[in-house]
Amino acid sequence: MKEIVITELTQALQDLARGFAHYLPRLVVMLIVAFAGWVIAYLLKVLVRSILRLTKFSKLSENAGATQLLNQAALPSSTELLSRFVFWIAWIGFILLGVSVLGIVGLQDYISQFFLFLPRLFVALLILFFGLLAANFVSRAALLAAVNANFRSSRLLSISIRIIISIFALSMVFEVLGVGERTMLIAFGTAFGAVMLGLAIAFGMGGKDLAREFLERRLAAGKKEEKEDELSPL
Amino acid sequence: MAEETLLTDDFLRQLINVGEVDILVGLPTHNNAKTVEPVIQAIQAGILKCFPRERAVIINADGGSQDGTPELVVGASIDDLRKDDVRRVSKVYALRTLHSISTRYARNPEPGTALRTILAAADLLRAKACVVVSPDSTTMEPDWLQRLVRPIYDDNFDLVSPIYRRQKFEGVLMRNLLYPMTRAVYGYGIREPYASEFAISGRLATDFLANETWNDDSGRSGAEICLTVAAITGKYRVCQTFLGTKAQPDRSASDLVDAMRRTVGTLYWSLGSNFPLWSTITGSQPVPTLGTQSEVTLESIQVDRKRLQEMFATGVAELEPVFRSILSASTLAELQRIATLAENEFNYPADVWAKTVFEFAASYHKSVINRDHIIQALVPLYRGRTLSFVLANRDGSGEEIERNVESLCGEFERLKPYLLEVWADRK
Amino acid sequence: MPLKREAGWYKDAIIYQIHVRTFFDSNGDGIGDFQGLAQKLDYVQELGVSAIWLMPFFPSPLRDDGYDISDYRTVHPSYGNLEDFKTFLSGAHDRGIRVIIEMVANHTSDQHPWFQESRSSQDNPKRDWYVWSDTDTKYRGTRIIFLDTEMSNWAWDPISKSYYWHRFFSHQPDLNYDNPTVREEMWKIMTFWLELGVDGFRLDAVPYLIEREGTSCENLPETHEVIRELRKKVDDQFPGAMLLAEANQWPADLRPYFGNGDEFHMAFHFPLMPRMFMGLRLEDRKPITEILQQTPEIPDSCQWCLFLRNHDELTLEMVTDVERDYMYDIYASNKSMRLNLGIRRRLAPLLDNDRRRIELMNGMLMSLPGTPIIYYGDEIGMGDNIYLGDRNGVRTPMQWSGGWNGGFSAADPESLYSPPILNPVYGYQAVNVLSQKRTEHSLLSWMKHLMRTRRSSPVFGSGSIEFLYPANHRVLAYIRQLGKETILVVNNLSSAAQAVELDLGRYKGNILIEMFGRNIFPRIGDLPYLLTMGPYQFYWFRLRRI
Repeated sequence: MKEIVITELTQALQDLARGFAHYLPRLVVMLIVAFAGWVIAYLLKVLVRSILRLTKFSKLSENAGATQLLNQAALPSSTELLSRFVFWIAWIGFILLGVSVLGIVGLQDYISQFFLFLPRLFVALLILFFGLLAANFVSRAALLAAVNANFRSSRLLSISIRIIISIFALSMVFEVLGVGERTMLIAFGTAFGAVMLGLAIAFGMGGKDLAREFLERRLAAGKKEEKEDELSPL
Repeated sequence: MAEETLLTDDFLRQLINVGEVDILVGLPTHNNAKTVEPVIQAIQAGILKCFPRERAVIINADGGSQDGTPELVVGASIDDLRKDDVRRVSKVYALRTLHSISTRYARNPEPGTALRTILAAADLLRAKACVVVSPDSTTMEPDWLQRLVRPIYDDNFDLVSPIYRRQKFEGVLMRNLLYPMTRAVYGYGIREPYASEFAISGRLATDFLANETWNDDSGRSGAEICLTVAAITGKYRVCQTFLGTKAQPDRSASDLVDAMRRTVGTLYWSLGSNFPLWSTITGSQPVPTLGTQSEVTLESIQVDRKRLQEMFATGVAELEPVFRSILSASTLAELQRIATLAENEFNYPADVWAKTVFEFAASYHKSVINRDHIIQALVPLYRGRTLSFVLANRDGSGEEIERNVESLCGEFERLKPYLLEVWADRK
Repeated sequence: MPLKREAGWYKDAIIYQIHVRTFFDSNGDGIGDFQGLAQKLDYVQELGVSAIWLMPFFPSPLRDDGYDISDYRTVHPSYGNLEDFKTFLSGAHDRGIRVIIEMVANHTSDQHPWFQESRSSQDNPKRDWYVWSDTDTKYRGTRIIFLDTEMSNWAWDPISKSYYWHRFFSHQPDLNYDNPTVREEMWKIMTFWLELGVDGFRLDAVPYLIEREGTSCENLPETHEVIRELRKKVDDQFPGAMLLAEANQWPADLRPYFGNGDEFHMAFHFPLMPRMFMGLRLEDRKPITEILQQTPEIPDSCQWCLFLRNHDELTLEMVTDVERDYMYDIYASNKSMRLNLGIRRRLAPLLDNDRRRIELMNGMLMSLPGTPIIYYGDEIGMGDNIYLGDRNGVRTPMQWSGGWNGGFSAADPESLYSPPILNPVYGYQAVNVLSQKRTEHSLLSWMKHLMRTRRSSPVFGSGSIEFLYPANHRVLAYIRQLGKETILVVNNLSSAAQAVELDLGRYKGNILIEMFGRNIFPRIGDLPYLLTMGPYQFYWFRLRRI
């Protein structure tokens, strides 16, 4: 009995050693790939950071209001964030590449899915970024225009526009990522419809004074304008 | 935009036929048929009376009028195609042909392009003096032409800026922002840096055509200010001349934003490229002036003070997140305090206003947010300042108002170091 | 032998204005005379003119250069005698040159026997030959013509103790044309000269013949009646003789002097002349085209007389104040050049001796509708002397050569009737006929060529005129047409090169032939005809359709 156990152990150890010896080179390759990946990812990060600095990306993100958001969340600047993101994506990519060398079945699928997922992630981030940018810009423009036209509820208008555009952007992001598409679609539809309905009711009933004032000003442009703006600035 | 594409073939042919001129009168128009006729007559009379021997031409740069304005302008030409025997009965007799030609530079009005077309014509025709006149100036008199052109002719000035007789509450933007700021920043007390009538020498016209102003939208839209700045910073000879009453065209509320874009926006824009020049200037020097420095009529005018106060207060409240990107915390706090004041106690002090204007200028330079939004954000604050100005001067005489404006200018000059600080600081 | 008088000969003529006194002195007394003039007829013939207009040569105290006449039927002894005149006249006619003389009809010298008689007493039969009055208040409001010297149109006569009327100098009393005897006598005088063979008269100062209270005493209907009467007699007895009016009036006021072809044959177009000078300096055709637009149509048998300069000052009576100031400032900056609302300078000095300007002005003179007159000496570019009194600065001796007295006279230089021009630019050594005859491109040769070219077509004298109005106002362009013949004239009034586009659509298909060099220019097509012109350049094109 002792001999069987020893033989089995030896067999097992030998199997293990063989298996180990079989995988070791691949492991070494994986480590090499991972290391190389780290270096490349780091270089990429530096490259991306320089490019972003050159193209004054920070200014753009300031305009988008992203900088402020990040500041509030005590996150590093958008340039830094993006470069780090690129670094991590690149490095993870290389690691996964290395892992695929190991030849673990099943893992391959997930790895390839990951790589397929990357472009969509990139697009989604772009949409999110520009969506936020647009929301910020348009809502501010609306706010300024409304204030200067002496609109009563300019803040409300501005926030509504921001929300609408943001939601729109978000739902596009989720659609692209393919995460809970249908759910998001329905949720967006519902929310958007509700907001619109609400606005309509508010405008129709509660805002009817506002509406009247607006129309009056538009149609009776002559009289009222003169009385208000006899002062010419230049 | 290359200069060549400014001039259509037909316009160029007309310019060839005009040939070299001594005086060029430029008239940018867009649907001004109601007001342009008296202006044209005043120009014609001015030329015939004061410059009968000079070769003159009227150039109309039209932005796609639909109401026959160009035809009215062209009808002002005096040439031998007209067979009426005006010689013996007319008091004002024309020795020479007076050309009056028109070109459509675009389908829609672009103020900068109109001016540029006029300058290009002045350059090609080698005009000694180029006068730009607004088609809305129904109060224009024949004498104005002489007052604008003589300094160029006789004393070799390069820019002749106008001074108007104004109602005491007219031109608040000019007197509370453009004039003090130009004076403090550039060191020259030009009262109307953005004028609808002015005259420049041929030399300045040619040089200004090569200016970088034309490559930028903000520059182009307020080209008149850029011209004034270019004249000041370029060591050209500048003077002012008193003209008369300024005609005020019918305006609507939306024009205020547009006016501020063209004037304040461009002025801010000009600070960027001229920084090396203005940053070293301290104080200001007076500009040679022919005629009175200022004239103010005291006829009463209706001002809706309540509305002004409302718009100011609403603006300060609603635009707070925007102001936080633009203004310093202390200035914003001040504004919020002022917004709480009742209408009869309302006061937007000169130093706070100066700081506001300067901080806006610095933010514009840094593009903390979209530049056009920055200008729009200034509008409600300007309304507040208007209210303050109106209240402070409602019982004032002409001299008192003038003193107040002078002290405001002094405040701007005193706070110029502050401008330099905020300009450099914000990162 | 008189030249056969043809009707309308004056329409195609080129007239040369000469003063006997200034042309050539044959007897060495320092004053030009008829024998001398006769000797120079070859020169006049070579020049290419077809008529001579002689300035007054009748006996006269010469206080107004001969316009104050003391005897109408003979020649001033300084210039010779009647025989000399007849010799000259015959010589001219032999060479095909007609002769027009002055008839100063409006007034005489106060030395004339008629006036001597008239003033002697109130009952003298010739009393009524002049216009007398006991007061000087009649015809108030009548303008004074010689503003620089006269204060009034009335002069006091100490002998007859009354006032006499004079529109000109006080020593030139006006004849009274209300008196039929006066008219008879004048006609007899004119008959005398017409019978000698003279081809026409320049009637001096015709607007002023008749006076009426409450009027301007100019251009009155009665004056026209006198003229009509005269013309009828001329047509009846001396058909083909020509009457030329000297009336310094606006074109509209000049028109009546042609009547319906029953008054004068020709009249000077005074208002055009200063405007040609104005247009040149303004570099703008407007003054020229406007005055010609205002010029009324005249009867077919009549003709305008055009001129650039003459013996008088360049008159600025018929211009506005603005125009007069401009002309004074530009052309007569030196105040001594100004006289009687005019400028007393010759053509060349007025044009700064610029050959191109001189050519352009002569070109316009020869191509505008009318009969051109050349003032003696202007064909060689003679200068003037503004320091001689009155208008004598433009009446200096003709410059024939660079030698003794400019070849005018063998007399002592000090004894000449007038000093010649001596300065290095215009003096007779620089400007004279002899040296200009030797060079092909002298002004004299060019003028001959110009006149030859003009004579090559009757269009210039008799054709219609239609102005083109190219957008470039520095170019004066017009079409002259007579029957099938069409000539295009283009003048660049500017001192700089110009481009001009002419609308010749109506003449599409025609080839342009430049008349001086006879070279072909491109055919007129659909597009506006583009011409580029040098400073002060002008073109005469004959249009031919082949």
